[in-house]
Amino acid sequence: MTIGWRPGRGPGWALLVVVAVVMAAPVAVILWSITDPSTEVWRELWQTRLPGMIVDTVTLVTLVVTGTVIVGTGLAWLVSAYEFRGRRLLSWLLMTPIAIPGYVLGFVWLDTLQGPLGARAVRSIWLCAAVLVGSLYPYVYVFAWSAFREQSPRTVDVARSLGCSPFAAWWRVVVPMARPSIAAGAALVAMEVLTDVGTVRLFNVSTIADGVLRVWFGTGDRDAAAELAALLVVAAVSLIFVERALRGRARYTQAGARSATRARSVTGMRAAVVNVVGWGVLCIAVAVPVVRLVRWALRAQQLGQTETISGDLAFHVVSSLKVAGFATIACLVIGTTMVFIARERGRWGAALSRLASLGYAVPGPVVAIGVIVTLAAVDRREWWPGEVLLVGSLAGLVYAMVVRFLAIAHQGIGASVGKVTPAVVASARTLGAGRLRVATRVELPLARAGVIAAATLVAIDSLKELPVTLLLRPFGVEPLPVWVWQATSESLWVQASVPSLMIVAIGMPLVAALLWSVERGAEVVS
Amino acid sequence: MKTSTRTFLSATVLIGALVPAACGDDAAAPAEGGGQIVTVYTGRHYGIEAVFDEFTAATGIEVRFTTGKDPELRERLIAEGANTPADVLMTADAANVELAADAGVLAPVASETLDTAIPTELRSADGTWFALSRRARVIISSTERVDSPPMTYAAVGDPAWKGKLCLRPSTHPYTQSLVASLIAGEGEAAAEAMVASWVDNDPLFIDSDTDIYNAVAAGECDVAIANSYYLGRLQTEDPAFPVAITWPDQDGRGAHVNVSTAGITTNAPNPTGALRLLEWLATDGQKMFSDANFEFPADPSVEPADIVAAWGPFKGDTAVIVRLGEFQPAAVALLSRVGYE
Repeated sequence: MTIGWRPGRGPGWALLVVVAVVMAAPVAVILWSITDPSTEVWRELWQTRLPGMIVDTVTLVTLVVTGTVIVGTGLAWLVSAYEFRGRRLLSWLLMTPIAIPGYVLGFVWLDTLQGPLGARAVRSIWLCAAVLVGSLYPYVYVFAWSAFREQSPRTVDVARSLGCSPFAAWWRVVVPMARPSIAAGAALVAMEVLTDVGTVRLFNVSTIADGVLRVWFGTGDRDAAAELAALLVVAAVSLIFVERALRGRARYTQAGARSATRARSVTGMRAAVVNVVGWGVLCIAVAVPVVRLVRWALRAQQLGQTETISGDLAFHVVSSLKVAGFATIACLVIGTTMVFIARERGRWGAALSRLASLGYAVPGPVVAIGVIVTLAAVDRREWWPGEVLLVGSLAGLVYAMVVRFLAIAHQGIGASVGKVTPAVVASARTLGAGRLRVATRVELPLARAGVIAAATLVAIDSLKELPVTLLLRPFGVEPLPVWVWQATSESLWVQASVPSLMIVAIGMPLVAALLWSVERGAEVVS
Repeated sequence: MKTSTRTFLSATVLIGALVPAACGDDAAAPAEGGGQIVTVYTGRHYGIEAVFDEFTAATGIEVRFTTGKDPELRERLIAEGANTPADVLMTADAANVELAADAGVLAPVASETLDTAIPTELRSADGTWFALSRRARVIISSTERVDSPPMTYAAVGDPAWKGKLCLRPSTHPYTQSLVASLIAGEGEAAAEAMVASWVDNDPLFIDSDTDIYNAVAAGECDVAIANSYYLGRLQTEDPAFPVAITWPDQDGRGAHVNVSTAGITTNAPNPTGALRLLEWLATDGQKMFSDANFEFPADPSVEPADIVAAWGPFKGDTAVIVRLGEFQPAAVALLSRVGYE
């Protein structure tokens, strides 16, 4: 394989470059402002809020990443290493918080704890971190779980026979081998925390992402806001490097891999402890919030608040499905194309793919404004006849979602396709199958589980996405998060409960699909 | 092999092209039945639909609208430029509409109807925007625990209220506009000292006026600054709600008044329909528009709702309204300097 240009591969290169440029454009137009930095604003920020923002951001990311790694890895271990009644059900249910948006979990717990703790104590970075851990730990859990599933029980047996206690065997053998997966999950979590703008605002936590909006919308100074956003991108990129470094060149091969870790039966006191921990987390992250939401929703039903000024519940659900559906299809198509084209193009291919994934490291509102600026520039050229405009169209909204979430699809599909044994591909090629045929008939079917996992992750994320939806939804499309936002910004929890519950309800089958694919060996990150 | 690569590529390109095309069907659906349509971006969403329905019934002009926060809609309008579908921008505060006007996305309007109905201090000098209703940002206090509430914004900084004060965070336009009015009225140094004295009282920051009222009622704080109309909503549900309003600075500049506004966009596809809407809101629709949110009508000859009238007359600091946008960036910087959350 050669790196660089080769005649005959023109169309692939061209397509890859086009995709990368189209996907990176909205971020680039925002970051462009750094070329002309407004030092005055920067100095003022530095003297006032910026140090606090950095401290809050670092603290929050550290707390949430630590929390999700402990909770996610611990739970994954509980359900893979121990056999107890209800294990299978628990192992599935523990994945469900991923369907509950952080801003929903946030307002429910804010209101629930406001009484006992007081309005002041409840608005703290600690509780904010706890809420984010509750909604984000499944990212670590799912990776750790699939990593543990793939580990051979023999390694543990060997460690035990060498005198390790069960915990020592776990700590010194199992966890290190799962480290790449755990690090990948933690990196996703860190990215979500860096770009969160809904949850932090509820708890008065002033992060850099929050600062971007504060500066931009408070002063109308897009350049200063973009400089802050650039800081965020730098932070995200460094995080990716840290994650790669942590992972190192670790590639563990395993004897008799693919046979799930042998579970030890536990009974009595131990079984009780395992159950309390597992179901306890589930209570905090899912049961209590859902029960409260249901009670509010019943009240909403009594008050006749199960619809908005724009339409009834079905209308909002259809809007949400439409947006999430198109976004998922687009991410899959583009992601798959990129994977197959980029992998034959070495370092440059990888670099272009990463460029196309930049949007994942940028907060939603920044992506949204970048997309509006980009599309408005295209609209001004009037490339197509008539009154067709991209700004304010469903296509524009879907485009923004793809910019934001392409990274997830690309990573997942890439990792799963990469797992297909080269010998299989080589045999197919030897038998005369073309590249497309191999890709569609051999590699993609083999990587099916991974593709489905990627699709469900994108669907769940675009279902929950708030700022992009808010800024770009066209007339006649009102997805559920907008309804939640309109109600919560007035503290009308009762009104917010119905759309919140719907988001969770739509998310549940997606979670099931995700679990199904993970059980079938889907790789969710590369 | 080459062929297959090409097929693969053209297949993906085709699919890639189809997806947006499929999406495009819904884009910018044209008016049904060929009737006239006015498109509104509105940062205000209390009871707005009923008002628009009434307008449609009166004029036959359909209104379609999208809601959002003032600054986001402003930025969207700026980014869309010449291709905006919006005819009208409506905001819930004066500073954001002024910043939009500064960015050139609002067109000057000459209308005798508007100029007659809306007092001079409640519209921009160049006619780019008009206030449609007024509301006061007032001092509120518990009727159970506070006998002599602070009578001025400055008095909110009195150490007596240390640990007993609730304020809205600086991210919200209401806070920014209040501080902008203090800068305009008192000068930057005095305003900074005043806001710093609030911060010294270790306020509890709550990003919702409704929650601020509830916090005062629940004893989380005794004194707070909030908009008057929320009390209207709360009193509708519970006439004995234990929070009272104090009109601040009645011996000085008066209570900080902000406005809900509307302006016609520079690139409005339907400027005549937009003007009809604005004129209707300023006249026939005035009372309905203001009452929907317990606000004071912009036209002083129109009576406010009974519940609002019961709070009594007050002196409002209206002179400064048209300059709130000018001082907003300074207000945001000031809030940062004094460490206001």
